[in-house]
Order: sequence, then structure tokens, then C-alpha cells
Amino acid sequence: MEMEAVIGLEIHVELNCATKMFCDCPNRPGDEPNSNTCPICLWFPGAIPQFGRAALEKAALLCLGLNAELQPKSAFDQKVYYYPDLPKGYQLSQAHLPLSRGGWIEIADEQGKPKKLRIHHIHMEEDVAKLLHEMEGRTPISLVDFNRAGAPLVEIVTEPDFRSSYDAMEFLKALRAQVRYVGSSECSMENGTMRVDANISVRPKGTDQMNTKVEVKNMNSVRHVGDAIAHEITRQSACFQSGEAIILHTRLWDPEKKATLPMRAKFAGPCVPDPAVPVIELSAEWIAEMKKRLPEMPAARAARFSTQYGMTAEEATYLSAEPDVALYFETLIGEGIAPRTAMHWLTTQLMPALKEKKMELASCKVTPSRFAQLLSMLAQDEINANAAREVLTHLFDSDETPDRIVAARGFKQVSDPGALCSLIDKVLAEQPAALNDLKNGQAKAIGFLVGKVMQASGGKANPKMIKEMLAGKLDSYNQ
Amino acid sequence: MEDIFSYRREESFNAKEGLLKDWKITVQPNISVAGWPADAGSKALADFTALEDATIIDRLKNAGADICGATKMSEFGFGIKGSKAGEALRKKEVNAELVLDLMGEARLAAMRANVFGFKPGYGIISRFGLIGLIPSMEACGILSSEVSLIGEILKIIAGADGKDFCLPDESLLPAVEIIPGKTKVGVIREAVQGLSEKENEFFTSQLGKIKEAGWKIKELTFSEYDLCQSVHNIIGAVEASSCAGRYDSVRYGKRAPGTKNWNEMYLQSRGAFFGLLIKSYLFQGAYFQFEKYSDYESACRIRKHLVREIEKLTAQTDFLITPVRMPKNASTPLSLTETYDQFAATLFANVAGLPALCMPAGENVCGIQICGARLCDLSLLSLGEYLCNQGWGK
Ligand SMILES: [Zn+2]
Repeated sequence: MEMEAVIGLEIHVELNCATKMFCDCPNRPGDEPNSNTCPICLWFPGAIPQFGRAALEKAALLCLGLNAELQPKSAFDQKVYYYPDLPKGYQLSQAHLPLSRGGWIEIADEQGKPKKLRIHHIHMEEDVAKLLHEMEGRTPISLVDFNRAGAPLVEIVTEPDFRSSYDAMEFLKALRAQVRYVGSSECSMENGTMRVDANISVRPKGTDQMNTKVEVKNMNSVRHVGDAIAHEITRQSACFQSGEAIILHTRLWDPEKKATLPMRAKFAGPCVPDPAVPVIELSAEWIAEMKKRLPEMPAARAARFSTQYGMTAEEATYLSAEPDVALYFETLIGEGIAPRTAMHWLTTQLMPALKEKKMELASCKVTPSRFAQLLSMLAQDEINANAAREVLTHLFDSDETPDRIVAARGFKQVSDPGALCSLIDKVLAEQPAALNDLKNGQAKAIGFLVGKVMQASGGKANPKMIKEMLAGKLDSYNQ
Repeated sequence: MEDIFSYRREESFNAKEGLLKDWKITVQPNISVAGWPADAGSKALADFTALEDATIIDRLKNAGADICGATKMSEFGFGIKGSKAGEALRKKEVNAELVLDLMGEARLAAMRANVFGFKPGYGIISRFGLIGLIPSMEACGILSSEVSLIGEILKIIAGADGKDFCLPDESLLPAVEIIPGKTKVGVIREAVQGLSEKENEFFTSQLGKIKEAGWKIKELTFSEYDLCQSVHNIIGAVEASSCAGRYDSVRYGKRAPGTKNWNEMYLQSRGAFFGLLIKSYLFQGAYFQFEKYSDYESACRIRKHLVREIEKLTAQTDFLITPVRMPKNASTPLSLTETYDQFAATLFANVAGLPALCMPAGENVCGIQICGARLCDLSLLSLGEYLCNQGWGK
């Protein structure tokens, strides 16, 4: 029997607000433990939560960026459970009236066809504290760090539209790109600003039954999500085929063992409307204002790149995936660099170098204007490609302008016909066999000789001119 | 006096210049006064000290009031068993007392002490710094032998507060003039049913007095009146359960010693330090949260309906008058049901968030409560003052 998977995702995204959701404490969970706390996020008696506007705006932009419908009325509920990571016995979350409903992300499926994956709803909630279990001598102790308690989160709950780990990974990549675009979060699974749980069930292909699902947690990268889902589909399919019942439970992904392992059943409490946090009412004007603040989203931008700059879909998608890369690219074009040159040098030189140096595009010394100066020198034949690559390495650790680097380090291309002519003559004298080929009208010798002349010039000669001059010689020998 | 106070200010005090200069006001330890013990009458919060002044305390201090001590209270202010609210007034030690009113505690304490007891309407007074138990029902009540002082205090503590985002953007309406022939009062028939003969006699005589003075009295029917108690009981218990979830002995409060893990620590600390009445209330709340959630939802729906019905009653008249039975001094601990029964006549104002004032009741078997529409707190106090001048309640 051929099996098919039914997968839905629950994605927690930590909003990059300056402060926590219900108080003015800095939203920096990584600081010295318990340094970012106050009577509100520690829930001292008499404290009253103050829902912050920044969190609402960031969350609303995220919803709009995912094509979701902001609800005119949403409210916080108390998700009741007792655990020391919750300073008040409940988590403030929107269980009954979420911030938005609907929404979708379009991916290209494995055949390259567009596929819409739907979002059920998006709600806001506060993060909980972090627990550390340690030993004090032989006594086990538990420490609580409340820095993260009350940090602003949204949870994106999808429809069970996914059929493969491929779908899930593509969805997450697109989601990350779109959320970064609206500026609401970095969405890094590695840093914990995006956390993904997957609900997976299997069924015979072609049926529409909804079988018991299993929740899988603890994946630390998009890759892990893919691996965990693939593993779970295989495991459940085997269970199904052998007639073994699948029970509703939660499993943890173990990246070492590359397997999902069952965890202790979670105690799910009720969700009671919170009487203290006011209902959030969004006016049509406010929603319109938020929509105006929405930037051009990745899919729209890729489509524009492709028509405006004549790029392939793949190139356009690559360049528009990250907002800062897209911005960098268009700044280069604004500086007069040809789109193809800008794309080529950005994707094959600058980005790999940044990755190697573990630097960020936005904060590195190679500003778009400096990079553009370099590329215009290349376009005007002042330097050749070899030299441009050399100059680029210097741009990373020097504040000098590209033309000064070129002048100071003698990268300037030799385009003087006299100088080039004597270089060619010198090389031909050293390469009698190639000279002979040339005389016999064999054009293939030209490539070899260009390389030799470049070598003799220390990489500075203008390869285009050498090629032209050698071609001229070939013609003159064979007239 | 030590049997009345749980804490008395010892540090020297320089009152600010203001309307309330030299007026002595007490609080209870569920109202935060910076540096004072704030255990809300519970062992679970033993040794907890308030970090900041509650907004109402801040405003009273700025108006010159002398916040002079905290009176003993029932655990988390739920019920009046064990509370000494009103006693300092009875002994004329102070000018006013602040007491949280969850279902009528401030009003019943006042009746017991033969003073005025006022519960403001919901959303009028900042809850910042108040250690509450039932957020959607409770309000800080004001007790005084002079109704005009209650009005002064109310005007000072009411109004928007940057620290309490839950306060709706509304302000109190100015007091209207009380005119005997024009002002209409309503009597809820169901609130009068069940009075003893003596109580009925007293209430009828009070109504007689105002009829003689030319007042119009309208008899009103509110067939679901009794549902108010069940609704308060269910919603109140659920909110209390949530509110008390923070007393986990992790960050503050007392912790049971010698426990092996967090679960044990949590269970044993809460088991040891909450009193019996609160424990049964929290247990009931948790029951509705975890086992009978749909009943809780029904209670919320019914509450909305009741609020609309009560609004209809207040729309037909200017004020409602109801009898309130004088609480008995029980020597044994009260059960949850007995506690609720004590407040049968007062809690509808908490359910609907209306302002309500209990008149001094002297030695009578029964007292009188007047109740107004939302935001009409000041008019209600004017009526109280008017009736007092007419020799009412005596
Ligand atoms: Zn805080």
C-alpha cells in the first residue's frame, strides 16, 4: 500500500522587539540571568501587565507579510499549567480570539510547480522562563532564569497541507524570508528565535482520512525538521503497514541518533479568558496603516527582478530571499553597475567571502558604494577580474577606496599597446612551438598564449587587448 | 488596638499639603504601601513586603492623607471572617478605611461598624498595587462615617492610571441633584423575597419614610436575581484559581521545607500555607477550569445577560434600593456556601460592576444598600448623604 503523510506545523517566532510583551524589560534573553526582570514579568502581587504597542505592530506586520487576515478583535487567554518556568501558573496566549486568521505561503513543489500552503491562524503569546537543572554537590537543583519570561512571541499554526519533508522545509525557508522582510524577527532556528513543532500522521495515498497524529519537537535547524519528518513518516508507515496502532503523543528529535523518541505526555490545561489584559481592537484605519508599512515581499520582488533586470527565476529568487541582499543588489544598480555584473560579483564573490569570514552583509566594510567603485573600475577595463578579486580581499580589512588600493598595490591593468606588444614578443620568443602554430593559422594557440602573456605581466595585462593583438598577428601571418 | 491592626506606621510622617491633610486612613495588607508588609492575610505570602505604593496610595499621600496602618484581614480579602475592617472607624481612631470589595466585604464590614461602606463601579479605580483575587469583580471599597469624605477620597483616587492599562477610558459623571419628587428609586422584588418578618418590617418602614417625603418608588422584577450568586461563585473561583497560581513559593512567599522536587515543593507549600476556605475556593476554580470548562463558559455567557438585565433596571430608575442582612458573628469557620450566602444581597453589584453604597445600620437586623448605574458613583454618594440627612437607616 502506498502511504502519504499529512503534516501541519506549529511555528513559534520570537519577535525582535526592544522590550518584553507586557513590561518594559529589555527583550534580551541572553543577558546575565535574571537581570532583565521586573515586578510584572516576575508576577509580583499587585503587578499589572501592560501590553506593548511594539509587539502588536511587529506581530501585525508578520501576519500581513504571511497574507493573513488581521482580526478586528482579539484577546488574551490564560493557558493554565503549573511549572516553575511560568511565574504565575498560566501563560498569556490568544487561544480563543487570535490576532489573525487564514494566510498562506507559496512554494515551488518538487516538480517546480507553485503550491500554496495555508495558515490556519497566527496568535500572540508570551515566552516562558528558562530552567537549568544542575547539581550542587550531590543535590540536584533547579535554577530559573526569568530573562526570557514575557518575551514576545507569535505562533503560526498551519493547515495540514504538507505532504513531505520537502514541503515543510520550503515553507520554513519562505516563512523565514518573509518574516525577515517585514523586520519582525530573525527567525533563526539555530538561535532559538524560530521553533518548529510538526504534527504528522500517515494514511493510504488517495484517501482523505485524518489519522492519529504525532507531534515532533526539538529540531534545531530547517534541515533537522526535514530529517525528523522523513524519519517519522517512515516509522509511522511501517507501524501502519504492520497494523500497529498509532497513539497520540509527542516525540523528540534526536539529531545524534537521527531518530524521534517518545517523551512524557504533556499535561494540557484549559484556556481561560484573561480578565486583566484589555481586548485588542484593531480599527480598519490602523490595519490600512500597517499594510502601507509592508515592504515589497520576496515573491513580488523576485518577479520584478526577473522582468526588470532580465534574470532567471532562480537568480531572482536567490537575490530576493534576504532583504539586505536585495537592497545591496539594487544599491549597486543605482550606482550604475550592470545588473548581471552586480548579480555575478555579489553571488559568486562577495557572499561566499562573507560566509567564509563569518561576517554580515549589513555590517561589513565592503559597503555597496565601495563595491560599486570596484566594479566600475572593472567595467571600464582599469583593472581585470583577477585584480578585482584581489582588491576585494583588501576591501574587507582596509578603509581605503578601491582606486587607492589599485594604485598603491599596482593592480592597474596594463592597456598600453606598446608595453603589451613587447610583452607578446617576449613570450613568442620563449614559445617557439606556439609561434609555429600561430604561423600555421591555428587559432587554438591564442588561448594558450594569452595565459602566458598574462602570467608574464604578473596578472595585470588587459586580457581582451592581448587576445585582439594575438588574433591580429595570426591574421597577418596568414594573409 | 493591636487586635485590629496587622501593621501600624511607626516612622515619622510629614503630611503633604492637600485636601486630605491630617485625615487618617487605614488600608489592609492587600493594598501595597511601599515598605509595609503585604501578605494579603495569607501565610502563603508571609513576610512579603510591598515594593511600591499602589496608585491609590500614591494619590492619597499626595493629597495629604495620613496612611496610618493596616487592619487585619481575611485571607486574600475573601469574606469577612477574621477581618477587622471597620473596627478602627467604630472606635473613631481613623477617618476612613480602604477595603477590597470582592463580593461585598467593604459594605458588610461597614454595616457591622455602623458606618458607610462604598464599592465604586468597576474600572474607576486603578488596580495597580492591589493584591486582588477576582479581577473582574473586585474594586477598592471606601469606609467612613461621613459620606462626604468617601466622595473626596473617590475623586482623588479615581481616574486613568499609566500603570493600569485595564482601566477603560471613562471618567465619573458629575453628581446630579437629588430631588425627592423627581428622583426615581427602584426596588427589586426578588431582592426583598426571603426576608424575615422583622427584616421586612424594617425595610418597609425605610421605604415608607421616603414615600412620605414624596419619592417615587418603582417595583422592579429581576427573575434571574438568584443566578448572580452562582455566576459570581463560578467565575470568581476560576479567576481566583488563576490569580493564586503565582503563589508557587519560587520567587516569594513561604516554601515548605524538605521537599524532593518542584512538584512536591509546589503541592506542599500551597497545601500548608493556604487556609481552608481559600483552598476550597481555589479547588473549585481549578475544577471548573480543568473538568467543567463549559460550565465556566456558560457562567460567562449568563453574566453578560445578567449585566444587560441589571442595566435595564438601572435605566428605568435613578437608583436601586435593596435590603442587606446584617452579618452574624459566627464563631466557627464558614464554608464556601455559608460565605457566599452572607453576600447574597451585595454581590450583584460586583457581578455587574455597579457602584453600591451600604448605609450605616446601627443596631438594626437589616441594612439598606443603594446602587446606581455605572459611572454614577458621585450621584449615588449624594443620594447617600441626602438620605442620611433625612435620618435614614436609623
Ligand atoms: Zn519585566
